[in-house]
Amino acid sequence: MNIAVLLRQVPDTEAKVVPDPDLRGRIMESEIKFILNPYDEYAVEEAVRIIERGGLAPGGQVPGGAGGLPLSGGGGEAVGFCIGPDRAETALRSALALGLARAVLVSDPAAVEADVVTQGRILAAAIKGFAPSLILAGRELIDTQEDALAAVVAHFLDIPHVLGAGKITLDGEKAVVLREVEGGSLEIAASLPAAVSCSKGLNEPRYPSLMAIKRSKAKEIRKVSLAELGVQSGPQKSRIAELKAPPPRAAGVRVEGEPAVVAAKGIEWMADVAKVI
Amino acid sequence: MAGILVWAEVSNGEVRKASREAVAAGSKLAQMSGAPLAAVVCGDAPGAAETLGRLGAAKVFTAAGPGFEKYSSEAYAAAVAEAGQRFGAEIYLMSATALGKDLAARLAAKLDAALASDVTDVRWDSKPLTVIRPVYSSKLLATVELLSEKKVITLRPNVFPLGPERDLSAEIVPISAETNIRAQVLQALKAAEGAIDVTEARVIVSGGRGVGGADGFKVVEELAKTLRGAVGASRAAVDAGWIPYKHQVGQTGKVVSPVLYIACGISGSIQHFAGMGSSKFIIAVNTDKDAPIMEKADFAIVGDLFKVVPILKEELLKAIAK
Repeated sequence: MNIAVLLRQVPDTEAKVVPDPDLRGRIMESEIKFILNPYDEYAVEEAVRIIERGGLAPGGQVPGGAGGLPLSGGGGEAVGFCIGPDRAETALRSALALGLARAVLVSDPAAVEADVVTQGRILAAAIKGFAPSLILAGRELIDTQEDALAAVVAHFLDIPHVLGAGKITLDGEKAVVLREVEGGSLEIAASLPAAVSCSKGLNEPRYPSLMAIKRSKAKEIRKVSLAELGVQSGPQKSRIAELKAPPPRAAGVRVEGEPAVVAAKGIEWMADVAKVI
Repeated sequence: MAGILVWAEVSNGEVRKASREAVAAGSKLAQMSGAPLAAVVCGDAPGAAETLGRLGAAKVFTAAGPGFEKYSSEAYAAAVAEAGQRFGAEIYLMSATALGKDLAARLAAKLDAALASDVTDVRWDSKPLTVIRPVYSSKLLATVELLSEKKVITLRPNVFPLGPERDLSAEIVPISAETNIRAQVLQALKAAEGAIDVTEARVIVSGGRGVGGADGFKVVEELAKTLRGAVGASRAAVDAGWIPYKHQVGQTGKVVSPVLYIACGISGSIQHFAGMGSSKFIIAVNTDKDAPIMEKADFAIVGDLFKVVPILKEELLKAIAK
């Protein structure tokens, strides 16, 4: 039983991001450290734990078909699928060190620059031949702040999806997922194969051991092109016309002194300026 | 003229406030472009169509009956697509709630549409339709032109104003759609009575490392209760196990846009700011006058939260009683 994990390389959360003056819609990359999308770690950890437990019981698989990659082979692998430029390999190595068996990287610029719906369609094409029973992804990509990818991939593979899982229980034919919504949570049963995106709290991602890091260097990262996948990126759906820093917040009021005095000033401000009282 | 269709999310039989904001945005867009406005409601919601009519929807498509009692991305996306096709919709709007974003993702794929999620501003008279959305942990804003014929847009809650309710009524059009539901809601678990979700709150009182422990959150909770707000937390407080993850605000937590955000003992990392930077007003209480949050706050109180926050609560009670 195979598990596909959607991966992305993103700028480090601490990175200072500055729009590139020459490349519209892009950021200056020279000073930036890139990492595996933080939410992807929960997806990788969950996939690796499922495989370590002996995989899924026999259940639904995405039917492999023409146009997919001839990837199947061996029973029960967790494999990463990523769209990204060549530098994304370092993020994939991190995921391999966390326990994925191997990874596939689609690095065509046309794929890298595509919108989320197109990327989902491309990833679906890459995943199809792998016939996974489960597709896991991080809840959100912290660079584009998009959380749609798992659902889009699911649509193109004609399978169900659940986003933002805080808990996943598998019984061979379905995944029972607990996801948070405003004011509570939903327990959702998705028949397998299914795509599920993973939230913080799902598990505690491991730190890779030195051995695991060493072993990951021998694992395969296979680069595939859109031509090999038999898909095209199609017409551009959206375009970033401008990328800029948000306007700075105007300087605020600062008070210091006796707690009773500063608190009274705070109340006055809440009533007069913020008008919440 | 291509239409604008809003998916109205219903909770306890009522159209959610966030969805009413989306209808108001749709109404504004309709006025600017001359396009007709419709709404679609899934599930049994008597009265919802009336509300939507008063908010400006000329038509309300309703999908009720088996398959629509509970949320299902598959059935709901099929219904919204069906309504959109009947109405000739090009722009699909919904609020960026948990389910709104879930539905938008499936719908955009189904319609092969341009998707823009968690949008915080719209260029109302732009062509092609152009929206603003935060990216890179809200460190930057992207101005995005939506080029495809069909566009699916989710709007960040609490950012767009509510519109007036007028003496209007909508034509109600019942629709059906294929409901091949493979992801089924088994049950909805409600949060504790009276607890307000951070994403929906007008006021949030948040605690960070300075709160010092689970017990320390009591003063934060009491102030939140007094303001009828929600309790938030920084990642440091959540990772320390002082408060559950659902309260976490920030890059790896929730994105919130309350009217007032009160940060108690939170230093204000860039990751935390990513989650609360679009708050209308920010108050910070911190002993460290050089903490980053103090630069970003509209009202910064240099002081010990354990001394200041309880007094804030008492004074508030007095002010409210007046």
